[in-house]
Amino acid sequence: MSVNRRTFLQGAAGAIGLAMAQGALSKIVYAQGAAGTLRVAIAKPAGNLDPQSHYAIWAIQDLMFEPLVKYGKGGQIEPCLATDWKIEDGGKTLHLTLREGVTFQDGTKFDAASCKWNLERWMGLDQFSWMNCSKHFQSLDVVDDYHITLNFKEPVLALMQELSYTRPTRFLSPKSVGADGKFGEPVGTGPWRQISADDTQSVFEHHEGYWGELPSYERLEAKVIPDARSRVAALRAGELDLVGGFWIAPLTPEEGKQLEAAGFNVVVDPGNVTLVMAFNPDRAEALRDAQVRKAVSMGIDRAAISKVLYHGYAKPAGNMFSGALPYAGTQYDAPARDAAAASALLEKAGWTGSPIRSKDGKPLALELVVSPDAVPGSRVIAEVIQSEMKEIGIDLVIRSVDHASKHTDMLEQKYDLGFFLTYGAPYDPFGSIVGLCLSTFHNDVEGKLVTDPTNLDPLINAAMAATGDQIQPTIQKVYDWLRDNDAIAPLVYVPSIWAHSKRVHGFSSPVTEYDMPYENILLAE
Amino acid sequence: MNMLNPILARLKKMPRAALITIGLFVALGTFAPWLAPQDPSAQNLLEAGLGPMAAHWLGTDHLGRDTFSRLIIAANTSLVSVGSVLGIAMTIGIVLGTIAGYHRGWVDDLLMRIVDVGLSVPSLIISLAVIGIVGPGYWTMVLALALAWWPMSGRISRAVAVSIMSKPHIEALRVLGASPWRIYFGHLLPGTIGSVMVYATADAGTAALAVATLSFLGLGIQPPTPEWGQMLVDALPYLESDPRQVLLPGLALTAAVIGFNTLGESIALNRIPKPLTRRMLAARRLEVASWDKENSDA
Repeated sequence: MSVNRRTFLQGAAGAIGLAMAQGALSKIVYAQGAAGTLRVAIAKPAGNLDPQSHYAIWAIQDLMFEPLVKYGKGGQIEPCLATDWKIEDGGKTLHLTLREGVTFQDGTKFDAASCKWNLERWMGLDQFSWMNCSKHFQSLDVVDDYHITLNFKEPVLALMQELSYTRPTRFLSPKSVGADGKFGEPVGTGPWRQISADDTQSVFEHHEGYWGELPSYERLEAKVIPDARSRVAALRAGELDLVGGFWIAPLTPEEGKQLEAAGFNVVVDPGNVTLVMAFNPDRAEALRDAQVRKAVSMGIDRAAISKVLYHGYAKPAGNMFSGALPYAGTQYDAPARDAAAASALLEKAGWTGSPIRSKDGKPLALELVVSPDAVPGSRVIAEVIQSEMKEIGIDLVIRSVDHASKHTDMLEQKYDLGFFLTYGAPYDPFGSIVGLCLSTFHNDVEGKLVTDPTNLDPLINAAMAATGDQIQPTIQKVYDWLRDNDAIAPLVYVPSIWAHSKRVHGFSSPVTEYDMPYENILLAE
Repeated sequence: MNMLNPILARLKKMPRAALITIGLFVALGTFAPWLAPQDPSAQNLLEAGLGPMAAHWLGTDHLGRDTFSRLIIAANTSLVSVGSVLGIAMTIGIVLGTIAGYHRGWVDDLLMRIVDVGLSVPSLIISLAVIGIVGPGYWTMVLALALAWWPMSGRISRAVAVSIMSKPHIEALRVLGASPWRIYFGHLLPGTIGSVMVYATADAGTAALAVATLSFLGLGIQPPTPEWGQMLVDALPYLESDPRQVLLPGLALTAAVIGFNTLGESIALNRIPKPLTRRMLAARRLEVASWDKENSDA
């Protein structure tokens, strides 16, 4: 068969028309299939949903399992399965009034007995000693069907915050476990019950007997899309309604900007997680001098990083914690870049010469370990810092590693400079202070941001032991020590970026990065 | 099929285009530090993502660095790394291949089984394993790729060496009592190197791609050294807002790989007898004439 111009043009036009029709048709089909369904992206399968294990996506557990109290805006504690609580005996006794009329998704009644069964699954166990309430747990008394009393050996700092965590504190139906008491089915008291879950998606429908107000749409599908670009493409194609969340399906600032330009609603929350640079004086001798640490910190242009790399979505950080968190301490402005002052400090510290400074014949070279998998966007930030350090005579070598190596390298302190993320609400400030800065606390996941057994540990311990009005001034001493010694260099407060389709109305960012923000959403069909 | 003819005809002329591409690549790579108009690592965040203009001929990247300078310096990075990878791989391959081809017997069996193992595992997996153990870095990457690459040249060298060893003139040398060293260094090695070099040209494209792949994965060349694969991965987030940043390193890499492949193929295919030029004819006549002289001397 010979192809002339006419048949070619006819064929081409037909093919283009078919492709367009197919695209439009698939959109219609998706929209029809999605009526009454909120489709959210998750970056990996939801995993083992056992509230006492540490594998699942927090936000998926949040759909099904509820805590005694909820963490509200600004750290406000709000009632959930407990309607009232009273702390007595200087923080050693907690009286709880449980909500009546609550049932688990399998019909089991939520009362003092099932509450006790749940709390005894983790309180007082070694595995959960990272939580003060578990570490100091003494006994649990059932007063009546809806009243229980918890007794602790020591006053528990941030007790109510701890009780709002996603795990291990949330409540599982006692009937859902196997004969050996091990986790079986994910059955909680929450508004969503799991219908199915596999490696491609988790599907949830209303828990009809829910005590609170149910969302207006009946179904929620969490679709597994590991690749960030595919998630953005799926949102554009109308296959998804909601993408975002640091631990759920992160969007980069660049993706946020592109989606905004394409007419999607992009919601940016200032965020309560801080990107902090750690110094490792144990490995890099130069960093033992506070002047060198200060020079490095002053040499970084936080404003430019926020403006260019985060497209203005992030705020430069001058503190370990953002003001959005309780007990975040006095809020200082982020240090402005001052290359001349940084160079002068290095001169004063004895590091001279150019282009790379040296002292006693040793060049001022530092190794910055980054892992873009663990801290999104960190490699580009590292490249900017590398160029800025070169200007003040520091040879910064970037070593980029994969997620797993980053954890081992940080634990084994195989870095001179490294990036850390604070845990954010509801864990902070105490979670990060203890987990990342207290030398006696064993942290085998992230490693340590900064430790000093002689100077810093007593300050942290004093802050942990403080109660009431004493908490603010004692924890401020920790912040002051970190600041006065330039022990860490906070860089930016990482923003929480969400994008949603036009179907979604009333969306607001979740209070913590561990919640699924389904609550206020209305779906327009 | 008629429609394809002009394209096919154009493709036939490719070797010349390939030669120009590779010539340009080698020239740029060699003289890159003198040719790059600006410091490839100098950042200016205020000028990030600008399009082509007088100050930056091909625009700037996401950190405000001059794209043109980075592309040129990246040619140097690729040239040096590909050269080193092939150099190391060919050396190991040719040495082991010729030893196997010369010695035969159990030495041949042993070496070729090692080569088999090397060939049975995909080269990228070997490289990833080596980098995983030693840690990422420029020379680790070169070493890792060389380790993954040598079995191929080892197998080719052995085949060439076996065919040379079975040629009559080697037989004659043995009969005349030539030492193994003389046969190996004087006859076997030069012959093998010549043939294997042809394959090396064709392999250079694949090696350049492997270097780019490892850098793309963040396991090869570390910042701030510009490298095409790394430029690609750095620009990927901007694929939609500024496709130029992705297209330029992508095109450079594609041109280099296609160039090397076409060149290698045409060199390999061109090893057919060519019509003799007048000068070659004269040289042969002279040589043949000298044989007479030798005979009369004898």
